[in-house]
Amino acid sequence: MPKQLLEYNQLFHALADPTRRAVIERLGQGSASASQLMTPFSMALPSFMQHLNVLEQSGLVHSTKTGRVRTYSLETKAIQQVENWLSQQRHLWEQRLDQLDQYLPQLAKEKNHEF
Amino acid sequence: MNFNPETDLILERIVPVAPELVWAAWTQPEHLKKWFAPRPWTVSDCQIDLRVGGLCQTTMRSPEGQEFPNTGCYLEIIPHRKLVFTDALGADFRPNEKAFFTATILLEPHGTGTKYSAIAMHKDQASRQQHEEMGFHVGWGICLDQLVEMVLQDG
Repeated sequence: MPKQLLEYNQLFHALADPTRRAVIERLGQGSASASQLMTPFSMALPSFMQHLNVLEQSGLVHSTKTGRVRTYSLETKAIQQVENWLSQQRHLWEQRLDQLDQYLPQLAKEKNHEF
Repeated sequence: MNFNPETDLILERIVPVAPELVWAAWTQPEHLKKWFAPRPWTVSDCQIDLRVGGLCQTTMRSPEGQEFPNTGCYLEIIPHRKLVFTDALGADFRPNEKAFFTATILLEPHGTGTKYSAIAMHKDQASRQQHEEMGFHVGWGICLDQLVEMVLQDG
């Protein structure tokens, strides 16, 4: 398998789990330690650490250790590989306009009732 | 218009309703609130003063209940045809602290329906503070969902 494709597979595998996605969204607000990241989940530490390892192996996050605390951060490069910020804006606009397109027939019906 | 593919977006749609209705959906708060925020986000407040220099404010509420007000003003208004607004300026053109985008909405009759285009010009990546604060989460939620769908389909 080409290296690029292998990397994408790892990225998608890492993203295909709700716990790992929640961790990524949390890291979008700033770096955090493993215990801070774990707080919202009712999960045993070893299972949670496994999720963090998958994320780290995929290259989506990296960690640094200071004393006894390991801090996790988003890896900007990997994120750009998945989606650049303009594509995020495009998704935002597309979803917005999809919702508008869904709403318009409903609005047309309401207006017809008024006349 | 000087379109820059690195910072700008253009989206075109054809809808089976008259331009007057599409215009209403963009310019009346009770309608705009129904669709402007990408779900599960909602618009918790919307104020529209439809005149050049008039306030255009939408407050987006995250699923967790955090609110992000966006203040802008209208730059050009041609009823049922063209609407231009920006978050670089507030009411009566008072400069905002942060500027991120200018949006142009163009409407034209298309048969019995409407063809509309939404053009968003963004400030460059280096100074996209607002994006970091709000768009990041909105954008990410959506793009992650789409990625997951894709993964599930492939699997």
